[in-house]
Amino acid sequence: MSFEMWAEKYRPRTLKLMVNQKDIVERLKSFAEARNIPHCIFAGPPGTGKTTAALCLAHDLYGKAYREHLMELNASDERGINVVRQTVKTFARVRTLGEIPFKILILDEADNMTRDAQQALRRTMERFTETCRFILIANYSGKIIEPIQSRCAPFRFTYLPREDQDSYLMHIAESEKVRLLDEGLNAIFEVCGGDLRRAINTLQAAASLGKPISNELVYSVIGRANPVDIREMIQLAMKGNFIDSRNKLREMILKYGVAGSDIIRQIHIEIFRMKNIPEPWKIKLADAVGEIDFRLVSGANEEVQLSALLARLIEAGMTMRRSG
Amino acid sequence: MYVAWTVKHKPKTLEEVVGHREAIAELVSWLRSWEKGIPKKRAAFLHGPPGIGKTVAVEALANDRNLELVEKNASDYRTEEAVQKFAGLASQYRTLFGNKRLVLFDELDGLTGREDRGGVGAIIKVVKQARCPIVLIANNAYNPKLSSLRYYCRLIQFKKPYARSIAKRLRQICQHEGIEAEPEALEFIAQRSQGDARSAINDLQALAQGKKRLVYEDVSWLAHRDRKDAIYNVLRLVFYSKSCDAAKSAVDMADVDHNMLFEWIYENMPYHLRDLEDLARAMESLAMADIYRSRIRQTNNWKLTRYVIDFMTAGVAVAREKTEPAGFVPLRFPERIKMLSRTRSERQMQSKIGSKIRRRCHISGVKAKTEFLPYLKMIFENNTAMASGTARWLDLDEAMIEYLAGTKKQAKAIIKAG
Repeated sequence: MSFEMWAEKYRPRTLKLMVNQKDIVERLKSFAEARNIPHCIFAGPPGTGKTTAALCLAHDLYGKAYREHLMELNASDERGINVVRQTVKTFARVRTLGEIPFKILILDEADNMTRDAQQALRRTMERFTETCRFILIANYSGKIIEPIQSRCAPFRFTYLPREDQDSYLMHIAESEKVRLLDEGLNAIFEVCGGDLRRAINTLQAAASLGKPISNELVYSVIGRANPVDIREMIQLAMKGNFIDSRNKLREMILKYGVAGSDIIRQIHIEIFRMKNIPEPWKIKLADAVGEIDFRLVSGANEEVQLSALLARLIEAGMTMRRSG
Repeated sequence: MYVAWTVKHKPKTLEEVVGHREAIAELVSWLRSWEKGIPKKRAAFLHGPPGIGKTVAVEALANDRNLELVEKNASDYRTEEAVQKFAGLASQYRTLFGNKRLVLFDELDGLTGREDRGGVGAIIKVVKQARCPIVLIANNAYNPKLSSLRYYCRLIQFKKPYARSIAKRLRQICQHEGIEAEPEALEFIAQRSQGDARSAINDLQALAQGKKRLVYEDVSWLAHRDRKDAIYNVLRLVFYSKSCDAAKSAVDMADVDHNMLFEWIYENMPYHLRDLEDLARAMESLAMADIYRSRIRQTNNWKLTRYVIDFMTAGVAVAREKTEPAGFVPLRFPERIKMLSRTRSERQMQSKIGSKIRRRCHISGVKAKTEFLPYLKMIFENNTAMASGTARWLDLDEAMIEYLAGTKKQAKAIIKAG
């Protein structure tokens, strides 16, 4: 027997079945009814239904055999300009048979495309509009170049509200005959905060243990899935413990394969979230983070540069303690 | 002087090249066909994974047959103009002195991204008009951007050599270097390289240079090993010198190359510079050295190495203002190197599973590693029924199942449940 992972199994197949992002779904439904869509950008945080909405839209447009009219590319895996030149172009320019005269190309994680590739894409989008519509999916629409944004209808996805996430998880738990306790549900929302993919994966991993899902169980799953806590690494550095914070960093990079760019983005977010840093210091630290970010972009070694950032956090921690 | 063994022990003749018998035979027969006039395919396109000896084979071939080898690699032909510059070379079979000529375009994979303004097209032009044999080399011949070029070439695939062939080559090198090596040690290095002979030879050098004997323990990193004395003194020089010159002299004393010395300094620094402000300054200096390293990589301008050395030695030394020289501080082997080699196969496995997930779950392989892998692991460790169904759905092979399950026993149970 083969079982799909729940995140896939319970992915809605049609727009009608999508429970959240109501405004967006309504607009997409009207596209499907009109049998025509513009180029689109779906932007928003992970696990909020961007890819699902794109697939559902395609399904509603073309019916069951929608895969024949659709190509999915993932820019994180194929991000170079050559993909646009070859794969995308080849797909985009060939006319499709059928009632709807265009195909759909879903470009997922498009914010990871290089600028050059985006420039190339811009011309392709224009030239082949008649035969192909693009749906660009991104966490940050800001990373998509202006000329592309202006060619697309923007859709901004947001984290699922608590009720929507809860009802979805309860539905899954019921169908899978898993006992999901209220406290477990609470805990999942607390840690996943409306990222439905993560929530479902957490639920499935917890369910695999074969016990009723309590908050304790959820936290143990989360603890294993996010083995290293960025906040803890920052705290260690600010307390002056370079060696331990560097060890955390190494674990993240070498053992768990977390990308330097992700680490730095999270450090940036954490710094503004941390309550024990005085406000003026946050901006000073942002400067240090930005400098290191720039160095990473220009090709320096991730671990060495991030270690240097930890060292700066140490300095900041000392100065802050001194000034009380 | 530090000379890389990959250079020092490069095979001079085809006889010495490890493996690749079939590919080499094909290459030779193609080259022979030139004796009877210009063949249909004027270029041979050698392709295969990195470090297995494609370039080396061509160089050895040229040497064996006394051909003048004109070698260009990616940095030389990014643009059309650049290719045209030496197109003339390829238009003649014999050189001024009557030697035959062989033109080699290496590292075609490097022809990516922003700068390849027509580079591939220009190479095609050169191939079409060539009057002397041309060899092209790339890791992946099936790269879409090379598709038009393929048509004009005789494709010759180089496969990964077996570990035992690599081990044999390592043994020869050890003999040359006067090192007595345990077979297990060499086999371990060869196995770990997964067919990448170049990395195997680099590993061997890192482990064995300057030694008389190489035993299994040296290789398996388990004990903190004894290159300790030399490197210990070098590091003290870097951390505690009062003058820039003294700190910089460490580089000459070290019997490891700059990059390795950098790793030693980076690893051990926080254990010596106890004052946090000293440490922060020193760390920033190391980061500057690293920036120069990346500039060297980007521009191929090795002259910049002097600044790397300045920052990683003198820069660190002058960063120390308050820390007093410590007594004995145990030496630590660069953890990064250990972890990289220990986790290499793990990272490869993660990527493989990532690409399976990607096929099924509408997510990039990269993201799948963080968004799905950890949860899959828990499922595979705890629930054989769920795991076996999922394994089938994702089309995982036994090795992948075993990686996710953590133990052989659990993996077996999962496979049996299916």
